[in-house]
Amino acid sequence: MPSVYIPALLRSATGGQELVKVPGATVREVVASLEREFPALVGRLVKDGRLLPNLAIGIDGEVSFLGLAEDVGPEQEVQFLTAIKGGRSEALS
Amino acid sequence: MSTTTYHLIGTRPPRHDGADKVTGRALYGADLKLAGTLHGAILRSPHAHARIVSIDTKAASQHPACRAVVTAEDFPETPDRIVDLGEGDTPLSYIRGNMLARRKTLYQGHAVAAVAATSPQAAAEIAALIQVVYEPLPCVLTAPAAMAKGAPLLHGDLRCTEFGQPTTEASNVADHFRQVMGDSEKGFAEADVIVEREFTTSTVHQGYIEPHTATALWNNDGRLLIWCSTQGSFVVRDTVACMLDLPVSRVRVTPMEIGGGFGGKVPVYVEPVAALLSKKSGQPVKITMTRREVLEGSGPTPGSFIRVKIGAKQDGTLVAAQAYLAYEAGAYPGAMVAPAATCVFAAYDIANQTIDGYDVVVNKPSTAPYRAPGATNAAFATETVLDEIAEKLKLDPLALRLKNASKEGTRRADGAKFRRIGCVEVLETMKAHPHYTAPLGEPSHAEAKRGRGVAVGFWMNAGLPSSCTLNVHADGSVGLIEGSTDIGGSRTSIAMMAAEVLGLQADDMRPSVVDTDTIGYTGVTGGSRTTFATGWAAYEAAQDVVKQMKERAAKLWKVDEVHFADGVFSAGEHRLSFKELAARVGEVGAPVVGRASINAKGPGGSFAGAIVDVEVDVETGKTSILRFTCVQDAGKAIHPSYVEGQMQGGSVQGIGWALNEEYFMSPEGRMMNASFLDYRMPTALDVPMIDTAIVEVPNPVHPYGVRGVGEANIVSPPAAIANAIHAATGCRMRHLPMNPPSVLAAIQQC
Amino acid sequence: MRSFDYAAPVSLAEALALLAAHPTARVLAGGTDLLVQLKSGRRETPLVVDLKKIPELKAITFDAAEGLTIGATVPCCQLTAHADLRRVYPSLAEVAGLIGGTAVQGRASLGGNLCNAAPSADSVPLMIALSAQARVAGPQGLRTVAVEDFCVAPGKSILGPGEFLVSIFFPLPAPGFHAHYLRFIPRNEMDIAVVGVGVSTTVQDGKIAAARIALASVAPTPLFVKAAGDSLVGQAPTSEAIAGAATLAQAAAKPISDMRAPADYRRHLCDVLTRRALTATLGAQ
Repeated sequence: MPSVYIPALLRSATGGQELVKVPGATVREVVASLEREFPALVGRLVKDGRLLPNLAIGIDGEVSFLGLAEDVGPEQEVQFLTAIKGGRSEALS
Repeated sequence: MSTTTYHLIGTRPPRHDGADKVTGRALYGADLKLAGTLHGAILRSPHAHARIVSIDTKAASQHPACRAVVTAEDFPETPDRIVDLGEGDTPLSYIRGNMLARRKTLYQGHAVAAVAATSPQAAAEIAALIQVVYEPLPCVLTAPAAMAKGAPLLHGDLRCTEFGQPTTEASNVADHFRQVMGDSEKGFAEADVIVEREFTTSTVHQGYIEPHTATALWNNDGRLLIWCSTQGSFVVRDTVACMLDLPVSRVRVTPMEIGGGFGGKVPVYVEPVAALLSKKSGQPVKITMTRREVLEGSGPTPGSFIRVKIGAKQDGTLVAAQAYLAYEAGAYPGAMVAPAATCVFAAYDIANQTIDGYDVVVNKPSTAPYRAPGATNAAFATETVLDEIAEKLKLDPLALRLKNASKEGTRRADGAKFRRIGCVEVLETMKAHPHYTAPLGEPSHAEAKRGRGVAVGFWMNAGLPSSCTLNVHADGSVGLIEGSTDIGGSRTSIAMMAAEVLGLQADDMRPSVVDTDTIGYTGVTGGSRTTFATGWAAYEAAQDVVKQMKERAAKLWKVDEVHFADGVFSAGEHRLSFKELAARVGEVGAPVVGRASINAKGPGGSFAGAIVDVEVDVETGKTSILRFTCVQDAGKAIHPSYVEGQMQGGSVQGIGWALNEEYFMSPEGRMMNASFLDYRMPTALDVPMIDTAIVEVPNPVHPYGVRGVGEANIVSPPAAIANAIHAATGCRMRHLPMNPPSVLAAIQQC
Repeated sequence: MRSFDYAAPVSLAEALALLAAHPTARVLAGGTDLLVQLKSGRRETPLVVDLKKIPELKAITFDAAEGLTIGATVPCCQLTAHADLRRVYPSLAEVAGLIGGTAVQGRASLGGNLCNAAPSADSVPLMIALSAQARVAGPQGLRTVAVEDFCVAPGKSILGPGEFLVSIFFPLPAPGFHAHYLRFIPRNEMDIAVVGVGVSTTVQDGKIAAARIALASVAPTPLFVKAAGDSLVGQAPTSEAIAGAATLAQAAAKPISDMRAPADYRRHLCDVLTRRALTATLGAQ
C-alpha cells in the first residue's frame, strides 16, 4: 500500500498523522481513499476532479508531470508539494 | 561514485554544430529571410502603470509603407481558462494581457500595439504614429511596497489565495503559502545561537546575447508557420494556438539556433503578434526586439525581500529554520517563489522549519524563469546567515555545512524526501579542493584586502516528455531527430547516449533539431532536463534500433537468437558490426527506424558549491574576483566539456548578479539602464578562469546516471562572494548587487 | 533610425561650404558616438558630413621643437602605435588604449571624444592636464581654444554654426613632467567613467613647479580645477600636499546621482582618485 505524506497544514484532518498508508494504484485513487478515510480532506486536495492549483504531486520526492494520473507503486510515497505558479483572477475563481 | 566504463560517454568529441557556429553559417532566428518579408515593430507603454483611454491607429495605417496594424482587440475573445504552457498553470488572460495590453499597461515597456511595414526603419516610424491616450496611475516597484496597506492595485480582480484557499481580499499578493515541518518555535528554544537577517535583491535579467526574434507566415492554406528563437518549440506552438484559438495542427514552429535563453526564452512574446500581422498583411512578418525592448519588455527574474532565521546548537547542529520569502512576480502572478521555498534550506537536514512564500505583483515586467529561478535569491540569504553562525560558533564553514548536509532520506519542508543525492560529496570535494586551503596571496595595493568565501546551492531539475527518432542509414551512420533546442551542446550529448548503445562514435551520428510537425512532443530546454530526458529518449530509441537490427540479423542468418555487444551482432559463427549489418538491412527487411517517447521521471536534483577569493578595494568598494572554483554533482558527465561549460556559465552569471547587475528603476518605474553599457554584466576582463570540479553521484533512475547540470551552479556564487567580502572586510552584505557604492557604504558603516 | 544623406569632403574648404549650406548637418569622425545616437533616435540629421578624408584631420605631426598635432579624426589605434607619441606623451597613448574596446579604438578619435562634449569623456581631463589646444575651422577662418574651455554643457561645445574641429595641439612637456589619467568603473572594461581624473605635475629641484588637475563625470562638462593644481606649486611632493590638492578637487565637483553612481559616491571618488593619480605622477620622479 502506498504511503502519503500529509503536509503540516492539513494534519488536523488526519488527527495529526504525518504518514498514512491508503490503497490506490494511481494518485487519483490514493486521494479517493484518503478522502474516504479522512472526510475532512475533501476539497482540500482535489476539487471538481482537479488538483487544487496551489498543489503539485510528488512521488518519492520528484515532481510528477501527470499529477493525479500518475501511477503509484505499493512501496512509493505520495507528497503534496507547492505548485510552481500561484495566483488566479476573479474571472476564474 | 560512478564506476561503469563506457566507450564514448565521458569523452569530449567535437560538437556536431561546431563548424557551422564558428564559421558563422549556423542559422539563427533573425537570419531567416523569406521572400516578401515585412518588418514588425511594437509600440510600448512609456508608463509603469496607466489606464489606456484610447488607441488611434489611423495615422499609422495611412502611412504608405504600412501593411498592418494590430492591437489587443485583434486577438480572439475566447473565455479565460487555466493553461499550462511550460511554466505551470497560468490563466490565459495573463498570457494574453502580457502579449498586448488591454485596458491597462502594467509596466514601462508593456506592448500596446504593433505594425508591419516594408522596412525596419519604416516600422519604427509608423509605430510612433499610433496615438495612445494614457491615464497614468501610481506605481509600486517592490514587494514590500506592493504588500503595504493602501498600495495601488495592479489587477482589480486579483484575490489573494491564502494557504490554498481563495480569499475575498483584493491585493497585489496573488498567493501566500506556508510549508511547515516539525515545530520551529520549539527548535529555536533549544538553539544556543540564533541569527536572523533581512535581505533584498534587485530585479536582474538573464542577459542572453540574441534578442527575441520570430518570423510568422500565415499561409494561404490556413497553416501558420513560425521560425523563432525559443527554448521550447512546442510551448510556442501551444501558446500561439491558444492565443489565436487555432487547433495545434494548424501551427508549425521551427526552432532556429539559439543565442542563449537561460529560462527567458520559455515564455512567448513576439510570435503571436507576428502571426496576427502576417494574417492581416498576407505576407511573412519578422519581429526582432532591440536590446532595450529585451530589457524592458521580456521577462527578467524577480527581485525579492527575504528574512531568514536559523538556530544552531553549540556543536553546530542546526535545530530550526524560518524563511519569509516575498518575491516580485512583475506585472502578472507567478514569481518563482515555490521553487525558492523548495531550495531555501534544501541543502540541510533541519527538523523544524517554517517557510512562508508570497507571490507579489509589481509594476515591472512580468518575470520569467532564470537558471534555477528563485533559488539564487534564497541561497544568498541562507548561506550568508550560515556563514555568520559558523563564525559565531568558531566552526569551519564547510564543516558546519557537512555536519548538517542533506542526504538520502532527508525530508524537506515541502514534504518531499530526497533520494540519492550528492550534497555531501559536493561539500567534501570543496573541502578537499586545493583552492580551499591555498594561500590568499598579498593584496595588490595598500588599500586592498583579500578574503575567501564558500556557499552551496541546490536545484531540483525537471523531467517532462521528450521524443527521439533514429534513422539507420546504409553506411551505418544514424540520423537522430529530436525537438530540444540545443543551448549548451545537448545535441552532441544526446547523440553520444544513443551512440553508446549502438557501439558507434559521435561522428557516426547526425543529430537534427526539427520542427513541431516532425518530432513527437518534447518539453522545453529548461529545468536542466534536456541531457537527462531527451538523452534518455535517445537511449530508448537506440534500444529500439538494436531490437530491430537483431531481427534483421536473425532473418539474414536464419537463426532464432542474436546477441549484441560492443557494437557487434553475433550468433554462433556469424558476426557483423553495426555498420556491416546496416549495409545489409535492405536485403532482409524494411529500413530500421528506432523511436521512443518518454515522460522522464526522477531528474534527481543537483547540488553545486562555489569557493571564491576576492580582493576588495576598501577606498572604492570595488570587488575583484581573484579565483573561483565551481563544484557540481553531474550524476554522470556525458560530455565533460559541456558540463564544465554549464558550470562556468552559471558561475559567471552568478558573479554578475552578485556584483553589478540590476534593473535601476526611477521612482516612476522607468528602467534607467536599459542597455548593455549600463546594465553591467561581467565582461571577459571581470572574471578569472572558472575552475571546475565535476562530482559524479549517479542518478539511480537514469540509464547513464545523468542529473541535469544547467542550473544549480548559479545558486551559490552571490552568497559565496558576500561571504568572501566579509572575510576581506569584516562587513556583511545583505543587498544584491554588491556594487562598489554599496560595499563602500557597508565598509563605512561597519 | 531615420535615413540620412552622406557626404565626404576632401578639403577644409569643401567641408566648410557643405556645413554652411546645411546648418542641420552633423559631422562624422569615427562615428562611435554619432551613429549610436542616430540609431537610438537620440539625434536626427538629414546629412552626415564625414571628415575622415580631409588631410589635416587625419594626420599626426610631431615637431621636436613645438609639440604634437593630432588630426581630429585620427583613430585611437594609430595613437597607441605612434612611436614619438608613446615616447613623449605616454599618458596620451595610455588613454587612447582605454577608450572603448579594441574594435571601438579602430574608429574612435580624441577629436570626436572632445566634440561629443560628454562630461564623462575619458580623454578630455588628460588633454586638459596636458594643456592641449583645440584648433577650429569655421566661416571666419581658424581659431584656437584651450581644451578646458571647449565644452560648455552636456553634448554642447563652443563650436558655432559651420565650425568643426581640425586638430588638437599638445605643447612639448618640460623636464620633470608627468601626466596620468585614472578612471573608476565598476567593471574592468566597456564602461563609462563614474569619475575620471587627469593630472599633470612638473617637478624641478625637488619642488612642484606646475600642476594641472581635471575631472570627468562630476559636472555638466569636463572640469578643470585650477585651484587644486595651483595649490601644489612650490611644495615638495608629499602626501600632505597631495591630500590638500585632492580635497580641493573634491570640493569643486558638482556630481549628480544617476544609474551609474550616487552623487556622494562620486564625490568620495574625486578625493581617492586625485590622490592616487598625483601619487602616480609624483612617485614617478
